[in-house]
Amino acid sequence: MTGVAFWVFGVAAVVAGWRVFRTDSMVRATFLLLASFLNVGAILLLLGGAYLGMALLFMMTVEMTVMVIFMVAFMMNPAGLNPMNMTHQPRLAAVAGWAAFAGGAAVAWRSNFPDRPLPAGKAVIAELGTELMGRSMLMFETAGVALVATMIGAVVLSSRRSRYGQDAGDDGSLPPVLDPATGAYPAGVLPEPEASGHGHHGGHS
Amino acid sequence: MSLTAALLIASALFGLGLWGALGQQSIVMLLMGIELMINGVMLAGGAMWAYAAGGEPKGQLLVVIAMAVMAVEMAVGFAIVVAVYRARQVDLTEGLDSLAR
Amino acid sequence: MSLHADVWAAPVLAGAVLALGAYVVAVLDVAAAGLVAGTGSRRVLAQPVRNVALLIRQEPTLTERPDRASWVLAPALYAGLAAAGISVVPWSRTFSIADVDTGIVLWGSIEALVVVALFLHGWSANSHQPLLAAYRFVAVGLSYLLLSMFVLIAAAIPAESLQLSRIVESQAGLWNVVRQPLGLPLFAVAALGSTTWGPLNLAAGDDLSGGTTADVSGLPLLVWLGARAAMLTAFAAMGTAVFLGGWHGPLLPDPLWVVLKTVALLAALVASGHLVARVRAERFVTWCWMVLLPLGFADLALAGLQALR
Repeated sequence: MTGVAFWVFGVAAVVAGWRVFRTDSMVRATFLLLASFLNVGAILLLLGGAYLGMALLFMMTVEMTVMVIFMVAFMMNPAGLNPMNMTHQPRLAAVAGWAAFAGGAAVAWRSNFPDRPLPAGKAVIAELGTELMGRSMLMFETAGVALVATMIGAVVLSSRRSRYGQDAGDDGSLPPVLDPATGAYPAGVLPEPEASGHGHHGGHS
Repeated sequence: MSLTAALLIASALFGLGLWGALGQQSIVMLLMGIELMINGVMLAGGAMWAYAAGGEPKGQLLVVIAMAVMAVEMAVGFAIVVAVYRARQVDLTEGLDSLAR
Repeated sequence: MSLHADVWAAPVLAGAVLALGAYVVAVLDVAAAGLVAGTGSRRVLAQPVRNVALLIRQEPTLTERPDRASWVLAPALYAGLAAAGISVVPWSRTFSIADVDTGIVLWGSIEALVVVALFLHGWSANSHQPLLAAYRFVAVGLSYLLLSMFVLIAAAIPAESLQLSRIVESQAGLWNVVRQPLGLPLFAVAALGSTTWGPLNLAAGDDLSGGTTADVSGLPLLVWLGARAAMLTAFAAMGTAVFLGGWHGPLLPDPLWVVLKTVALLAALVASGHLVARVRAERFVTWCWMVLLPLGFADLALAGLQALR
């Protein structure tokens, strides 16, 4: 029964991962990625990692929710109402993908891994807790510090009030165009030609 | 449900992620490719922990750290998307080559 | 320790409990509206049945080019999450529908997936008001999610386990609402948020002509509203298990105590919809991150200090 469930989840994860890059709707792409993650979380639960599977479900859901907001904000075709193709170097990407899969599959098939299965009845959650708070506290704290540094870095990178002063984060940036095909702006949006320095490519950011 | 099967699925996810990360023009889709790769890594780590490491707690720690890496990658990636969009009004990787000169 | 229900009985049991809970929520809502308005309420027990009949007869609308997969998926996901949530709640010292090791983290996942379900519901209609409601709701949802995880983990500390049956057992001497006073109010914020009820009704409110339900009518609307009431029931049951001592109580049988406490908590949550005004989304987000989240930290720190003594 668990064998069948494992293959169902595994195939669903792979198919969902493939459809992420083949669907036109960006919102669907995000939630297909979420579906792939949920299936991997289910597999981890089947393998016996109780906390790992649940934490994966939780974290990935929140991350995909944040991602869908960014998708709709920045992508050109969020609802997939028009077909589009936004790929580049397709052959290189396909070759690299297949090579990675072939390499991993070769390792999975031919290697002699030690056969030490998870003992039944092991208190995996309690062990994870004591490991995180005990012997591997340094790793845990480093991850925490890295996350704080990331938070600060992300805010600095994206804040309007960058380190150059109030509103300096917007230097060189322009409001979104009205018509991407012609690059036309709504009337009155751009400053007069005499006042502005450079054109669109306002220096290096 | 053996170690080989789980590692096969993990390699498939990793390969799909690499294909997406290299082939997509949009930075957000590239992020999703990287996420798929880390997804594969987490599955492989969890499978090795359950089948080849006898439930050693450091195996679970590896998966937890991979989750933290994923969070870091997403946060910085989205900040970069915002910064690039402000400068160029599109979130494409085309033309992001100032360091190459 | 807990007896798991048979695999086939579990969905039926969960469904029955949730259907009953949804009816109780509707009755309480009608009664509370009548009480607060001062007009009294007639036919309190029959009004929800009439509303259900009306919705079944109503014609379901469809917008132009909706995302059909999400249109169907969102209410189903919402109802499924309510069922998953109610199944980990212990009804007596020996019975819960599905007592998983990591019940607390499961509830975190459920709350996160509720945000996804509500976003999909607003997205699927391809219409302005639902999308605005969904966006507003995601901002609020991401804010109270962390809060609820902190208070739930704080409740897990005295039990030294993430399993809900052990958490209820750990309240044998003292309920968590007494030794962690901040827990239940903060969890109530999460409950109101996840069901967009009352003061946090940012996704289904009249200010956006119904929010995500603006373009939904008929049977899909009935499923959605039913899932919302079921989710409120599940949250109330979870609140009684984690904070109000679950099945602990002197004379009556255990399940009856759970039911009584759940109905009491439900009455409080439902009444808040008629007593407290709707918050403004940006004000609530600011307040949640600046005030409520530090209170959640304080709750967690308090629980940790108590455990160290």
